Amino acid sequence: MSEKRNVIVRIAGAAGDGIASTGELFGKTCSRMGLHVMAYNSYQSAIRGGHVWLQLNVGEEKTRCHGEQPEVALLLNKTSPEVHIPDMKPGGIVFYDVSKIKDDLTVMRDDLNYYALDFKALCDFEGTSPVMVNVMLAGALIQAIGLDTSVGMEFFEEKFSKKGQEIVDVNQKVFNAGIEWAKENVKDFSVALKGDGTKRMFLTGNDAFGMGFIAGGLKSYAAYPMSPATGILHYLSKQAKKCKLLVKQTEDELAAANFIIGSGQAGVRAATATAGGGFCLMVEALGLAGMLEVPTVFVSVMRGGPSTGIPTKQEQADIKLVMGGNGDFPRIVIAPKDTDDAFVQAARALNLAEKYQVPVIILSDLFLSEHYQTVDPFDFSKVTIERGKYMRELPKDAARYKRYEVTDDGISPRLVPGHEGHMYCSGSDEHDEDGELVSDILAGLPRAKEVRLKMHPKRMRKEETMLKENDVLPPEITGPADAKLTLMGWGSTFDYIEDACETLRADGLSVNHLHFTDLYPMDKEKVKEILRSCNEIVAVENNMTNQMCKLILGETGFEITRSINRFDGEPFTGEYIVNEVKKKELINA
Amino acid sequence: MPETTDREITVKDFKGHINPDWCPGCGDFGVLNVLQRSLAEMNIAPEDVMIVSGIGCSSNLPGFINTYGMHTLHGRSLPIAQGFKLANHGMHVIACGGDGDGLGIGVGHLIHSMRRNVDMTYIIMDNSIYGLTTGQTSPTSGFNMKTKSTPFGNPELPVNPMALAISAGCSFVARGFSGNPKQLVEIYKAAIKHKGFAFIDTFSPCVTFNKVNTAQYYRENTYDIQEDGHDSSDMQAAFARAMEDGKIGTGIFYQKERPTYETPEKETFDIPLVDQPLGVDEKLASELNAQFL
Repeated sequence: MSEKRNVIVRIAGAAGDGIASTGELFGKTCSRMGLHVMAYNSYQSAIRGGHVWLQLNVGEEKTRCHGEQPEVALLLNKTSPEVHIPDMKPGGIVFYDVSKIKDDLTVMRDDLNYYALDFKALCDFEGTSPVMVNVMLAGALIQAIGLDTSVGMEFFEEKFSKKGQEIVDVNQKVFNAGIEWAKENVKDFSVALKGDGTKRMFLTGNDAFGMGFIAGGLKSYAAYPMSPATGILHYLSKQAKKCKLLVKQTEDELAAANFIIGSGQAGVRAATATAGGGFCLMVEALGLAGMLEVPTVFVSVMRGGPSTGIPTKQEQADIKLVMGGNGDFPRIVIAPKDTDDAFVQAARALNLAEKYQVPVIILSDLFLSEHYQTVDPFDFSKVTIERGKYMRELPKDAARYKRYEVTDDGISPRLVPGHEGHMYCSGSDEHDEDGELVSDILAGLPRAKEVRLKMHPKRMRKEETMLKENDVLPPEITGPADAKLTLMGWGSTFDYIEDACETLRADGLSVNHLHFTDLYPMDKEKVKEILRSCNEIVAVENNMTNQMCKLILGETGFEITRSINRFDGEPFTGEYIVNEVKKKELINA
Repeated sequence: MPETTDREITVKDFKGHINPDWCPGCGDFGVLNVLQRSLAEMNIAPEDVMIVSGIGCSSNLPGFINTYGMHTLHGRSLPIAQGFKLANHGMHVIACGGDGDGLGIGVGHLIHSMRRNVDMTYIIMDNSIYGLTTGQTSPTSGFNMKTKSTPFGNPELPVNPMALAISAGCSFVARGFSGNPKQLVEIYKAAIKHKGFAFIDTFSPCVTFNKVNTAQYYRENTYDIQEDGHDSSDMQAAFARAMEDGKIGTGIFYQKERPTYETPEKETFDIPLVDQPLGVDEKLASELNAQFL
């Protein structure tokens, strides 16, 4: 094979075979060389025994997709060949160990190169055990595709030095055995990827959310474990001491959501995260945050639904859910587009929550939250902390404080509790400017109606203010403005659609990309204008029923009638979208 | 630990500017008066108190007392109160609500709050009936009790709040009666003073919908366990009192201080979170990035 700019690698085996650690070793090798990696893991809701795999697309330039057909595979158990050999790109190479896979794989396909290593023979020294097969194969793989093998050596030092030098040594020896074997035996596959030497971070979207929260001044985090949101809890728990955070695993999602409302009311920045099913349990609290006007951030990570659905698989079908709740209350819904954006939007969400004293929902999905990717170190200095009408002090002799004072912009000055002479009670029932309830014995009386007609619009007015203050990002168009076809997407599909557009344009087709990061509130006129400026719009949604199209229709009256949908549990890839565009004849050349 | 104030505080300082809309004769008046008295006698400033309630007749209490307050969702006062307390441990936090709120829809939170031991007080105003929804059976309604939702008698056994609390690891467990303010004020003061999660189930009779558990009933059937020589540091004895049939004990059943939730996280809680600066400095930022390089 001639020199190429990227390579797609798949590592597969049983849960417990060391897929994650092999992936980390391989990913760090690439990220420290200054290569770009986009990885996606496919796993099941089982701790041991399920079949799992990790696919990594490594490139000299930013890789937007984890790709479709792997060119290199590392197969760790005997069920791996039947699952993965059919997916391989012709001419690809496969590494495996003879003790795990005994079948003649050429019977399955003869257009691949198979490399069978023999762990027992190659690693016949003290301290090894069959669980280290993955380390040997990783050595062979890293050598075969011409990566820097010294990073692997460092990796074992960092990972195992606490467990003792012997563990480090034996891992390095096994790794080296794989390297030496590949030097002698693998000759016909040369990719020679060259990194730019810039060390990059290799992390998940959930890690990025956690870092964004810390950068943005988060102080209180409460959550109940639920995939694919749990990574944020893990990350923040680890940093809690260092960053002086309150991180609380609560008894359920109801407690988590209400816990952060308590913290928000006290005057600290508070957030929670869950998956769609957990968010269902939080919806009552979401309305409470809206009514009490408590700044709170809810991360809702979408996975295959409904109900428990496909817990470890991808879907984008929770727009209706995050727009839910009884009655009307102001809120903001943000769907970050990639890992970098996860960092930025987490910090931004904390600012918006305080500025508008509303719940802010970050709508992530399994792919964004859990996939690994290389990114440049985050620039914490770019994060500003803006607290809006937050007040820490109010003199005792100041005019009597009204927590829910009616203002033109709908936002009342917010004095956090603890001040003599300025006590107030915040009520979930309809209340007046002081917080006094008008729901019980006053209900239906003229004063209660008057209060309702003042207070309800006061709260809802905040959504208008968000638009006026340009705090809502309009959808962005990338590519030629006058393209014949516009692919419309939202949230984490950004990179896939960009990838598809690049391929389609290379094929001479006239396409561009319309992307929404902020889903709600929506600037109706501005969005309508943008939609009307497009020639032909095709929605690309990782769901069956086009929930974003319905939101747009409801808000603007503009109907998008054609779409590419995927709801088999997998994220899109650029290739998938390109094939759909061609198959459905969505555009003429 | 929240402070008392140098200012002289009286019951008047806690008088709310709204008159309670409870039915005349409701037990909740007694609870409100006793709570106001307890705080005043402890010389705690009103602005240092946050009272969080759920939903129900008794959950209207925060609106009738001059402190900070939150009137929230049915059954959710405890997680909100804990989220508040841990964000600002400089304030006294008291959660309150009815028996339906705390022992029905919110009982999951109650059990976990007890074992978690955040330094706060929780008062249940227990009338063994759903009042605001006009008289259905509650978690503490007696077996066979006839209510609107159990016209042929309640087929379920009532919850035993004292036994439940002791077994859940609650560090302060007490029961009082709003018709016995002399004893109740001492219980509330001890509870507020207690470092850890203090739970007081307070009989607070409903004059409109419960014709069984009346003030008269409690006057005739309760006795003071402290006067009877109960040792509140003895968990076995506390269980025995909780399981008594016939006469109903009131007083402090069990009290044993143990580390509160905040204790192991000294570095985080050295000053209240609300008083801490936000964000991270350059050094910490580069450390956070370095973890992934």
